[in-house]
Amino acid sequence: MSAVFDSYERAKDFGTPAPAPSTKQITLTIDGVEVTVAEGTTVLRAAAENGINIPKLCATDSLEPFGSCRLCLVEIEGMKGLPASCTTEAKHGMKVTTQNAKVAKTRRNVMELYISDHPLDCLTCPTNGDCELQDMAGAVGLREVRYGYAGDNHLSEKKDTSNPYFTFDPSKCIVCSRCVRACEEVQGTFALTIQGRGFESKVSPSQNQPFLDSECVSCGACVQACPTATLSENGLIEQGVPEHTAITTCAYCGVGCSFRAEMKGQEVVRMVPNKDGHANHGHSCVKGRFAFGYATHKDRIKKPLIRETIHEPWREVSWEEAFKFTADKIRGIQKKYGKDSVGGITSSRCTNEETYLVQKLVRAAFGNNNVDTCARVCHSPTGFGLKATLGESAGTQAFDSVHKSDVIMVIGANPTDAHPVFASHMKHRLREGAKLIVVDPRAIDLVRSPHVEAQFHLALRPSTNVAVVNAITHVILSEGLEAKEFIKERCEPEAYKAWRDFILDPQNSPENTEKETGVPAEEIRGAARLFAKGPNSAIYYGLGVSEHSQGSTTVMAIANLAMCTGNIGREGVGVNPLRGQNNVQGSCDMGSFPHELPGYRHVSDPNVRALFGKEWGVELESDPGLRIPNMFDAAVAGQFKALYVQGEDVAQSDPDTHHVTKALSSLECMIVQDLFLNETAKFATVFLPGSSFLEKNGTFTNAERRISPVRKVMEPLAGLEDWEVTQELAKALGYPMNYKHPSEIMDEIARLTPTFTGVSYEKLDRLGSIQWPCNDKAEEGTPTMHIGEFVRGKGLFRVTPYVATDEVTTRMFPLLLTTGRILSQYNVGAQTRRTENSKWHDEDVLEIHPHDAEQRGIEAGDWVGLKSRAGETVLRAVLSERIQPGVVYTTFHHPFSGANVVTTDNSDWATNCPEYKVTAVQAYKVTQMSDWQKEFAKFTDEQLEHLRRAREPNTVS
Amino acid sequence: MDVEKLTRMANQIAANLDYGSDKEKVALATADHLKRFWNSTMCAAIVEGHQKKLIDLTPIAGRAVDLLAEQKKKSA
Repeated sequence: MSAVFDSYERAKDFGTPAPAPSTKQITLTIDGVEVTVAEGTTVLRAAAENGINIPKLCATDSLEPFGSCRLCLVEIEGMKGLPASCTTEAKHGMKVTTQNAKVAKTRRNVMELYISDHPLDCLTCPTNGDCELQDMAGAVGLREVRYGYAGDNHLSEKKDTSNPYFTFDPSKCIVCSRCVRACEEVQGTFALTIQGRGFESKVSPSQNQPFLDSECVSCGACVQACPTATLSENGLIEQGVPEHTAITTCAYCGVGCSFRAEMKGQEVVRMVPNKDGHANHGHSCVKGRFAFGYATHKDRIKKPLIRETIHEPWREVSWEEAFKFTADKIRGIQKKYGKDSVGGITSSRCTNEETYLVQKLVRAAFGNNNVDTCARVCHSPTGFGLKATLGESAGTQAFDSVHKSDVIMVIGANPTDAHPVFASHMKHRLREGAKLIVVDPRAIDLVRSPHVEAQFHLALRPSTNVAVVNAITHVILSEGLEAKEFIKERCEPEAYKAWRDFILDPQNSPENTEKETGVPAEEIRGAARLFAKGPNSAIYYGLGVSEHSQGSTTVMAIANLAMCTGNIGREGVGVNPLRGQNNVQGSCDMGSFPHELPGYRHVSDPNVRALFGKEWGVELESDPGLRIPNMFDAAVAGQFKALYVQGEDVAQSDPDTHHVTKALSSLECMIVQDLFLNETAKFATVFLPGSSFLEKNGTFTNAERRISPVRKVMEPLAGLEDWEVTQELAKALGYPMNYKHPSEIMDEIARLTPTFTGVSYEKLDRLGSIQWPCNDKAEEGTPTMHIGEFVRGKGLFRVTPYVATDEVTTRMFPLLLTTGRILSQYNVGAQTRRTENSKWHDEDVLEIHPHDAEQRGIEAGDWVGLKSRAGETVLRAVLSERIQPGVVYTTFHHPFSGANVVTTDNSDWATNCPEYKVTAVQAYKVTQMSDWQKEFAKFTDEQLEHLRRAREPNTVS
Repeated sequence: MDVEKLTRMANQIAANLDYGSDKEKVALATADHLKRFWNSTMCAAIVEGHQKKLIDLTPIAGRAVDLLAEQKKKSA
């Protein structure tokens, strides 16, 4: 019988990283025993792989060997002195002795020196029982410290508690430099150094500043690497060493880091990145590692709530009453207004199993296809564009592919903020010598940061992506740099010819597009030649591509660029959409779009409808349903009356807030299933408490199509996991669902979806994670797609004419607003604002170029009105030269900022993905909040009072 | 349904698919797109608006809506 959890024990540390993959094996003798290891393995690692644990302190297998602590010394026949086994490569025929009197004495002497300047408070120390220094003192047999303790020491060094998540106690530091090296090699921020020399040596964040004031991004790699208590998580300090663990997957971004949840009872002591995580390889960012406190925040709603209208107090009710109330409302509305008057929005943060059930409920229980997901407002153009050109609505590579790239192009993405762990891997490759091209209106951090500099930064004018990508491809073809063999072999010839004629038209030349895009022709030519040269060139892109009126066109132009340079179908290349949310890829895979059943099959296909209809026991609708923006339009028109929203906050995240709130107010019934009373829930008449990722079993699918397990480590606070809530609602509607465990839901998905047939919980346990497609052709999944042939057979070049957006600057609105994200806050901020992350970003600010600010009499810190044709809000100004004059920038993590009051209903032609990245605005100095903000504050107070009265019925506020 | 909005959307689709001299082909591609991605209520609203000359579709978008109306009639 397999155990539910694993007992806590420190992950096995092999001392030095595994060598580069090689088929050559070598044999050496360690302590008289013959061992065989891969060529390139260090002596330290060769011993550890065979159960021989040479003492070590500065060595750890996540970092390159350093050779400073001098503990891992060994004797090697034929080599002088006592070499450090961490920096010595194992050679064929070597004879190593890891333990004898000479080595033992040397090691004891080394430990003696360390302990002579170390506090002896082990019994009250946070890492008591889990400290490498303690272990090594024991391992070398230290019995006395002949120097005594009266001399100069560091024992009175003060602690740095500035960072809310970990404590730096320099009195315990052994200056092994693991933290410094982790910050360099793993994270790539280079925030730490060893200041001074000899006795004066000390770990220094930036210019010897407290951690919070330094360049530290709080990723925690240093804390994880520290072998003593010097850098310890505050959770560990407060709660003690964990007692059991479970592997799970992060619920923040699309990197999908694998974590070990380290527990005491049902409390999380700390989240430690899983070394064997296939996406993150033992690294994480501030959010995944530290910002999990929202799951137990006091704002969590634990009982179902109902009310008749949004202007009355909530009533706490039982689950049974809530389901009956909801079902009666839905059926009543459908009877009155028609079956198409209701719909649902699936969550891109809930599990695959949960989103599958929501779309199943809509199609089978509501009887229509009015289901959509937040991918509508982010990567729906990816789905459209990549399906059209390559044949599959997903990225082509695994994240690890970046380690084989020679040229990396980043378009409309800011990975150091939005996909931090992947960015760290990318920076590692860039430091090794890969070249970088950044296409972004802003000088994102990646353009120039420690040891990383873009060869080209094409700072284009917002909305001109297609013109720029077309110009790049024009150069490649006009200079004869295209991959002729690849095109001939792998792509449809007629489509290629049509596209070739189109792209070679002089209107697409860099010289012709320069005026429109603002990018000098020579820069485009240089970037194009670099990209075409490769040999391995990869494209990574984000919402700066998709959230535009030509989002889908840009995606197709990117696919064209990859195909014409032969950069598909192997590692190191590819088209890589950086999907934002932890499960937005999964949500799309699970059939959340109104026109597609799971596996991206159109609802009009009778065979697909028959397949699902048979399994689900119903006849399915063939008419595509309403997309989210269409639902809002239909609500305002009085035709759409009820909405079931699971884990989404459209009132904050969707554009044109005035229109969204008008639509939500027009509904007769809105059911919100979420953790907190978010902005959307303020317009709801039913609130079903949701469960966080710690409270349920399931799977998430990240941006590399990797399906990873989510494991329950605590009981759901409201008593039901999210999938159970949907199931009970379905039953109340008269549609039976009787799953006993999410694995049964995955089994059903696998039965019905060709790209998932090989997926099961048993296989996930065995392999750790699986990249779809996973079926008979690829039993263990598919890291790299389109090898040999495209999913659609031959790749299809698509003509991509540049069509300027309607959103142009005018005299009234002379600036362009573009929006984005920041590292410490996540999306609408519902989770991260309820953690200490707000210490880094407690408000959204307006970044404005000093030139534009000066023209308007705006100084740093001023309140600034931001107005567009859609609405008006007020933000604090920050002067920045990262953006070009004429462009302003803000984030949308705080509801009060009202960033989306200003964004418009302009959208991508093919998918209606909103054009968040281009809004014509004016900015001006103000002395008070906007009317919307005043109304919003009033409405929020009203709704919070309604909630308070439900939770504390007999009190007055 | 806000038929003005639907009109803008249809015009935008047609403008983005507009390439080459064969405008009938572009209109057909536009009609296919509407059929594939638009809910039938939306399709009916734009067909009605166009047939009653209440909305301002571009020539290609207008032709696409005519083709859409024909296709919908055939499959009804």
